Amino acid sequence: MTRYFDTLGTIVQLELRQRIRSVAWLVLVSVVFVLVGIVTALLWFSITAFGGDVSDSAGVYSTIIFFVLLVGTLVTPAISGAAINGDRDAGTLATTQVTLASANQIVLGKFLAAWTVALTFLVASLPALLFTLIAGGVPGDTLAASLGVLVLELGVVAAIGVGLSGLITRPLFSVVTTYLVVAALSIGTLIAFTLGGLAFQSQQTQTIIGIDYSVGGEFDPNTGLPEEIVCLEPVTYTNTLPRFDLVWGILAANPYIVLADAAPTSFDANGFPQDLFGTIALGVRSAQSAPEFESVLDECAAAKEGDINLGYFSETPREIFDRTVPSWFVGFLIHLVLAAAALTGAIARTRTPAGALPTGSRVA
Amino acid sequence: MIEVEGVARSFGDVQAVRDASFTVNAGSVTALIGPNGSGKTTLMLMLATLLRPDAGTIRIAGHDPVADPRAVRTAMGWMPDVLGSWGTISVRRTLEITGRLYERTPVQARERAQQLIDLVGLVELAEQPTRVLSRGQKQRLSLARALVHEPSVLLLDEPASGLDPAARVELRTLVRRLASEGVAILVSSHVLAELDEMADSAVYLERGVTASDERIEASRAQSRDWRIRAVDPAALAAALKKLRIAASPPDHLGTAVSVAGEVEAAQLLAKLVGAGVAISAFGPAVGDFEHTFLDLSRTTTEGGPR
Ligand SMILES: Nc1ncnc2c1ncn2[C@@H]1O[C@H](COP(=O)(O)OP(=O)(O)OP(=O)(O)O)[C@@H](O)[C@H]1O
Ligand SMILES: [Mg+2]
Repeated sequence: MTRYFDTLGTIVQLELRQRIRSVAWLVLVSVVFVLVGIVTALLWFSITAFGGDVSDSAGVYSTIIFFVLLVGTLVTPAISGAAINGDRDAGTLATTQVTLASANQIVLGKFLAAWTVALTFLVASLPALLFTLIAGGVPGDTLAASLGVLVLELGVVAAIGVGLSGLITRPLFSVVTTYLVVAALSIGTLIAFTLGGLAFQSQQTQTIIGIDYSVGGEFDPNTGLPEEIVCLEPVTYTNTLPRFDLVWGILAANPYIVLADAAPTSFDANGFPQDLFGTIALGVRSAQSAPEFESVLDECAAAKEGDINLGYFSETPREIFDRTVPSWFVGFLIHLVLAAAALTGAIARTRTPAGALPTGSRVA
Repeated sequence: MIEVEGVARSFGDVQAVRDASFTVNAGSVTALIGPNGSGKTTLMLMLATLLRPDAGTIRIAGHDPVADPRAVRTAMGWMPDVLGSWGTISVRRTLEITGRLYERTPVQARERAQQLIDLVGLVELAEQPTRVLSRGQKQRLSLARALVHEPSVLLLDEPASGLDPAARVELRTLVRRLASEGVAILVSSHVLAELDEMADSAVYLERGVTASDERIEASRAQSRDWRIRAVDPAALAAALKKLRIAASPPDHLGTAVSVAGEVEAAQLLAKLVGAGVAISAFGPAVGDFEHTFLDLSRTTTEGGPR
C-alpha cells in the first residue's frame, strides 16, 4: 500500500515539476492575483461610494468568490486538458507505462497534480478574499463553505480535463472539449433549465375572490378598504405555468449554483437572504416545489382579517429554505459522477498492454 | 531470455506483424533486421508490454506480458525509437524519477542515476534540463533510462541512430559487456555493418514475418560479392581475365567479383597472389547481415506470391 502511494507521489511530483516551474504558470498566477485584486478594489469602492454599509460586503464577497470560480474554471482546463495525450505526443507516456507505475497511478497522479496547480490559482486570490472577510465581516462559516466548494469544483474540472485527455487522442480537442463541458455546466444548464421548464407546462386554475368596492359605504383612509366588506363572486382563470420543478436538477448541476447553495445563508428579520449567494440559492430552492394547480386568492377574507396583503404572501424565503432539499448536494453529486466517469475512462484507455488503439495514434 | 512464437498484431486493416517467431537466449545479442515498416517497432512494443498481440505467445524472462505485465516490466528494459524526455527536468532527476517509478528507494535511485550518468557519458550535462540535449545525447539518456533497474532483458529500438562514431563504439562495448553479464538483448537497427560487430545472430523481419532458418541458410550459401583492390588495377584485371572470372568495372573501392563461400575466396586470393598481382585489400563487399538482408528482400520482392 505504501508502495502504491510512493509511486503515485512520484508521478505527482514529476507532473508538478514540469508544470509549476514553467514560466507560463508564473505569469498566469500573477495575472490572476492582480485581476482578482482589481475586481475586489473596484467592487469595494463602488459600494462605499454609494454609501453602502458593512453588510454589503457580503455582496462583495460573494461576487469575488464567483469571479474566482470563473477564473479557476477557465484556467484549469488549460492545465489539465492535455495531461495524458500531450505526453503521448511527446513520447513520454510510454516510457512511464513500461515502469512499474500502473495506469491508475499515472492517471490519478496527473489528476492530483492538475488539481494542485489549479489550487495555486485559488491561493493567488486568497488575499483578496481575506480582505473582504476582515474588512467586511463575512461570517466565517460562509467563507469556509464557499472555499471548500471552490476547492472541490476545481478538482472536478481538473478530473474532467485529465479524463478527457486520456479519452481523446488530440490534445487540442481534449482541451476544447473540457472547455465545452465547463461551458455546458455553467451556461448550458441555465439554458436547458429555462427551455426545459417551458417545454413542460401545466394548467393552473386560479380562483380570485375580490371585494366589491361599489357597496359597503365609506372608505377607511388608513387601509383603503370600505367600512363594510362585501365579497364578489369568485372568478376563475386558467393559465399555463412552466414546470421548473421537473427540471430543477439541471440547474442544480451549475457550479455557480452549487457554490451559492452550499454557502450558509444569513437571513434578515423579514426572512430574506442577505447576500448574492442566498438570493441565487433561493431561486433554485423555489424551483423545486411544484406550482399550485388550484390556487385560491381570497382577498376578501384577508381584508376581513384586516390586511389585504395576507392573501398574497404565503411563505417567507426562509420558510422555503427550510422546506426544500439543499440542491448543492445534488449538483455536486452530478459533478462527482462526471469526474469519476472521466477518470475511470481514462484509466481504461491508458492501461497497457493496449488492445485496440484509436485510429491514428501510436503507442510510441 | 526472450521467446516469441507465432506473434501477430494488426492495426485496423494494417497487418503490422503477421507471424514472428524467434528466441533470444540469456547472454546473447540478437539483431532485429527488416525494411522500414516491416513491423520491428510493433514487435518491440509487444515485447515491452505496451501492445497486446492478436495471436501467438511471448515470454520475457519466463513471464507473459499480457498475463503478468508487472513481472515482465521488472525484468525488462526498453529503449524506444522515439526520443521522448521530460523537457524541464534535469538528466539526473530524470534518472532518479525513473528509478523511483521502478520502486527503488530514493537513495538507491540517486546512486544508480550517478552510475548511469558516468556510464553513458553525460557527466557535464547531468544538471541540464533534458530539453537542451542534442539528439545523440538524448539517445544516451534514453539508453541510461532503459538500464535504471538493471534489467535481464533489454530491448533496444534503433539505439545507434544519431550517435557519433565514438559513441557507437562505446554502445557496442556496453552491449557486449551487458551480454557477457547474462542479459538477453534484442537490437534493431538499419546500420547492418554495426550489427555485424555487435550481434551473435539475427532475426529478419519482412512485412511482419520472420524469415525461417532454412531461408537464411539458403541465402548465406549463395555466392556473394567480394571486393578486391590492387596496387595496379590493370594487372588485377588482366589476372582475373586469365582466370576467367567475371568482374565488375573497377571503381574507387576496387573490383567486385562473385565468389561462393570462403573457401573459394581463399583459393582466389592465393591464385591472384601467385600470379604476382599486388593485392592491397580483399574482403566481402557487404557484411553478413547486409548480404542476407539484401538477398531476402530481393527474393521476396522478385519471388512469387507471399
Ligand atoms: N498505431 C498504428 N496504427 C496504424 N498503423 C500502424 C500503427 N503502428 C504501426 N503501424 C503500421 O505498421 C507497420 C509497421 O510499423 P513499425 O513501426 O513496426 O515499422 P518498423 O519496422 O519499426 O519501421 P522503421 O524501420 O521505419 O522503424 C507500418 O506499416 C505502420 O504504418
Ligand atoms: Mg521502428
